Amino acid sequence: MSQQRGTEGPDLERPEFVVRKERYYRRLLAGCAALTVAVTLGIIVALSGGALTFFGDVSIVEFLTGSNWSPLVPPAEYGVLPLVSGTLIIVVGSAVVALPVGLGAAIYLSEYANPRVRAVLKPGLEILAGIPTVIYGYFALVYLTPILDAPLPIEQVIIPSWLAFSLPLVPGGIPLLPEFTLVVSEFVFVFPSLRAFNALSASIAVGIMIIPMVSSISEDAMSSVPDDLREAAYGLGSTKFDVSTKVVVPAATSGIISSYVLALSRAIGETMIVTMAGGQSPKMPFFPNVAQNFTESIEAMTAAIVEIATAESLGQTATYDAMFAIGLTLFALTLAMNILAELVRRRFREAY
Amino acid sequence: MATTPETAERIRRDGRFGLKDLKGKAFEGVLIAATLVGIVALFVLFGYMFVDAVGPLAASAEWYLLFFATLVAPTSAFALYVRRRPAARHMNARAFAAVFGGLAISLAAWVVFDATGPHGLLLYAVLASISPLLIAGYGKRVERSMFVGPAMVVTTLAAILLTLGTEVLVFALFDVIARLVGWLPVVGSLQLPVAPALLVTAISTGGPTIAVLWYLRRRRASTRTYLLVPVVAGISGLGTAGLDFWLQPTVDLLPDWLAYLGLVGLPVAAFVAVAVARRANVRRSLLAGGAVVAGNLAVGGLALAVSVDPSFWIVLFSGTVVPVGYVVGDAIIAKREGTVGLLGPFVLLGGVLFGAFLEDVIGATGPDSWLTPTLLLNSWNGLDPARAGAYPSIVGSIMIVSVMALLSFPVGVGAAIYLEEYAPDTGMAGRFANFVEINIANLAGVPSVVYGLLGLALFNNALDFPPGIVLSASATLGLLILPIVIVSAQEAIRAVPDSLRQGSYGMGASRWQTLRNVVLPEAIPGILTGTILALGRAIGETAPLIVISVPVFGGSPGGLFSSGAALPLRIYTSSANAIPAYRKGVLAALAIVLLALMLTMNAVAILLRNRYRTADT
Repeated sequence: MSQQRGTEGPDLERPEFVVRKERYYRRLLAGCAALTVAVTLGIIVALSGGALTFFGDVSIVEFLTGSNWSPLVPPAEYGVLPLVSGTLIIVVGSAVVALPVGLGAAIYLSEYANPRVRAVLKPGLEILAGIPTVIYGYFALVYLTPILDAPLPIEQVIIPSWLAFSLPLVPGGIPLLPEFTLVVSEFVFVFPSLRAFNALSASIAVGIMIIPMVSSISEDAMSSVPDDLREAAYGLGSTKFDVSTKVVVPAATSGIISSYVLALSRAIGETMIVTMAGGQSPKMPFFPNVAQNFTESIEAMTAAIVEIATAESLGQTATYDAMFAIGLTLFALTLAMNILAELVRRRFREAY
Repeated sequence: MATTPETAERIRRDGRFGLKDLKGKAFEGVLIAATLVGIVALFVLFGYMFVDAVGPLAASAEWYLLFFATLVAPTSAFALYVRRRPAARHMNARAFAAVFGGLAISLAAWVVFDATGPHGLLLYAVLASISPLLIAGYGKRVERSMFVGPAMVVTTLAAILLTLGTEVLVFALFDVIARLVGWLPVVGSLQLPVAPALLVTAISTGGPTIAVLWYLRRRRASTRTYLLVPVVAGISGLGTAGLDFWLQPTVDLLPDWLAYLGLVGLPVAAFVAVAVARRANVRRSLLAGGAVVAGNLAVGGLALAVSVDPSFWIVLFSGTVVPVGYVVGDAIIAKREGTVGLLGPFVLLGGVLFGAFLEDVIGATGPDSWLTPTLLLNSWNGLDPARAGAYPSIVGSIMIVSVMALLSFPVGVGAAIYLEEYAPDTGMAGRFANFVEINIANLAGVPSVVYGLLGLALFNNALDFPPGIVLSASATLGLLILPIVIVSAQEAIRAVPDSLRQGSYGMGASRWQTLRNVVLPEAIPGILTGTILALGRAIGETAPLIVISVPVFGGSPGGLFSSGAALPLRIYTSSANAIPAYRKGVLAALAIVLLALMLTMNAVAILLRNRYRTADT
C-alpha cells in the first residue's frame, strides 16, 4: 500500500498549492499517529512524576517490602505487599476459571464446531468481554456471592480422629540424631462462609470476563495450524481426540501461552469488579488455610487506587502520590506481560 | 478446519466399540461445556437481574395475555410474513432504522441540549459555521477551488478555538507553557512586561494575521487579496476578546423553541435538501427543505396553540418524523418494491400503545417493575428507592460519550490513515510507523485505571481544570479508546481493494484525492462500525472517571466545562447502599439501562454494517 506509484509522473504538473496541501495533510496525519506515542510518554511521565514525589517521602524499600497498607488512617503505612497479594489472589482465581475453560472453548471452536455453530458461539463468547465491568462487579457482589455462599461453610474431615497417631521415628537418646516424632493429627478442611466482599466471587467474575480473551487468541493460533498436520495424523489412524490434543494444541502452544499471559495481564488491571466485589481491606495471604484467602475481603492494587481517588480532600500528600506509585507498578507489570506475550508468540511461532 | 478422512474413520470403526470412542465423545462433551459455561453463567446472572429489575412474576395472567395479543403475536406474524420477501425485508430494516435510530438520536440530542441550554450551542454553531459556509460559497464561484477543503477545516477549527476555547483552552495552554518556562533556570525568573491576558490576546490575534500576511507576500498576491489581512485580524481579535460573550445576551432573547429550530430544525432541513438534491433536482430539494422547515413551524405553532412548550416536539419532529418521512416518501415516490415492509416499526409501536391503553382499561396488574419513568427522569434520591432516578447520570454519560466521539474519531482515523496509506515500510518514517504500531498494541493492554491517572495528572493537575468536568472525562476516555479506534479503522481501510487505489492513481489523482474520493467513502462504514463499538465500550467505563473524580451527586452537566456525571459511576456508588431495595431493585434497573444504552449503540453499528453489505451486493 505504501509503495503506491503514480504520484511521480504527473506530479510535476500539479499546482504548487496541491503539492503543499498534500504535504501538510501527510504531516497532519503523521501527527495523529505520533499522538499515540505522546500518550505513552504522557502515561510514563505522569506516573513516574507522581511516583518520584512519593518515593521522596517513603523509601522504595519500605514500599516494596512493607506488609501493612493503611494510607488513609494515620499513622500512614505504605507497604505494597498486601495489595500485591490481593491482586495475585484474583489472578490465581480467575486463571483457574478462565484458562482451562478458554482453552476448551478454543479447541471446540477450532476443531469440533461446524461453521454454523461457530458463527453463533464465537460472537456469543465475545459478549462476555463486552459487558461493562461495573455490571460484572454488580453481579458478583449482589448475585454471585449469595449463590456461592449458600452451601458454605463446608467442613470436610480429611483425617478423622481415629486415624491420628504419633510415631516416634527417631526415639530420643540416640547420639548425633535429634529426636523426631511423626505426628499425624486430626485434620478438618474448612471452607468458611463468604464475607459480603470476598475474593472468590470477584475472581470468578474476572475469570468469566477474560474467557473470550483466551479463547479467541488461542483459537486464532489453532486455526492457523495447517491442515496437512491434521491429515497426516488422521492418516496414521489418530482419532479426533488425538489430533486435537497431540497435534493441534502442541503446534499452537505459543499462541495459547501468549493468550494466557494477555488474559492474566487483563485480570491484573481489572478495576471495577475487584473494587466492588473484592472489598477494600488489604491483607497478607493466609498461608496454611489457602481457602480462606478467597473467602475473605481483600484489596487489589487497582482497588487501592480507587480507594485513594474516592477519599476526600487529600491534597498533595504522600497518600495522593501513592496512587501514582501503584499505577506505575501496574503499568510496568502489564506492559511487561504484554511484551512477554508478544515475544512468546514470535519466538515460538512454528514456521509453516 | 479439521478434515476427517472418511476412510480413516471407517478403518477405525471396523473394530469393536472401543474405549477410544467413549474418550472422544467425553472430550467433546467437556469442550462443549467449556464453551457454554461462561455464556450460560452470564445469562443466569442476567436472568436474576431481569427478575429483580422488572419483576415479571408480579404480573397477572391477563396482563401476559394482553402482552402476547397486542405485541408478540402481531410483531412475530409480521416478521414471519416479511421474512420470505427480500424487498419487504429490506424496507422493514430501513423503516426500523429510521424510526428507532431517529428516536434514539433525537432523545439523546434533546437531553443534551436541554441540559446545556440551546442558546449557547446555537451561538457556537452559528459562529463556527459562518466562515466555512462563506468559503464554500466562494469556492463554488471561482475556478480554482482546491483551497476550499483545507480552508474550511482550518477556519472551523480556528472559530471553535477562538470562541469556545479562549477562556479555558488558550489560557490554560499559556499557563502550562508559562509553568514549563518557569522551570528553566534563568528565563523562568524573568518577569513578563505585560499582563498575561494582553499577551494571550496579542499572540492569538497577531499569530494568524502575521501568518496570512507572510503567505500573501510570498505568493505575491494582488493588492485586492490583502483585504484578507484585516478580516483575519478582526475575526481573531473579536474571537479572543470574547465575541461569543457579547453576542450571548442577544441570542438569549430568542425564545427557547426558536433556538431549537435554529439548532436542530434548520440543519436537518439543509441536510434533507442536500440529500434530495443529490438524487433529484434543485427544485425538489428546495421543496423538501422547505417542507421540513414548514413542518417544524407547524409543530411549533400547534404546540404554542395548545400552550405546550414546543421545544421537545421540534427536536422529535426533526429527528424522528423527518427521517421516517424521508424513507416513506422515497419508497412511495420512487414506487419501490415491498412498501408493506415499512409497516414493521408501526406494528410494534402500535402494539405497545394499544396494549398500554387496554391495560389501563382492563386494569390488569402489570409487572412490579423498577424500570419506571421515575427512574429515568428523576434525579437521585438516596433514601427512598421509589423516588430515585438517574436522569443526570444518563445525560452525563450521553454527553461524555458524544464529546469523546468528536475528539477520538478524527484523531484515530487520521492515525489509521497515516499508518495504512502513507507510512512507508523502510527508512526513518517506516521505523516510526513500526514503532507506532507496537506502541498502539501496548496501549490497548494498559489498564483503564492507568488512563484515569493520566487524565488526573494531565487535566486536573497540569492544565488545572476543575476536577471531573465533562471535557476531561471525555478526553480521558477518548485516549482510552484511541487504540481500539485506530485498529478497527486500520482494518476497514485495509479491506479496501488495492485495485480501486490503482485506478484512481491511474487517472492522475493525488494521494489525498485518492483517499478522499475513493478509499474513505469505501471504508467509512467499516470505520464507523468499529468506532461505534468502541464507543459502546467506553460508555461502561468507570474506573478512569472515578480517578479523575467525576462527581456522583449533582445535576446534569451544563456544558463542556461543568462537572460531569455518569451512569456507571452511579451504579458503582450505590452498589454498597445498605437498603436492599436499592441493590436488588434500582441498581438492577440501572444496569439494564446501561446495557440498553450500549446495545443501542451496537445496534447502530450492526445496522451500518448491514447497510454496507447490502450496498456491496
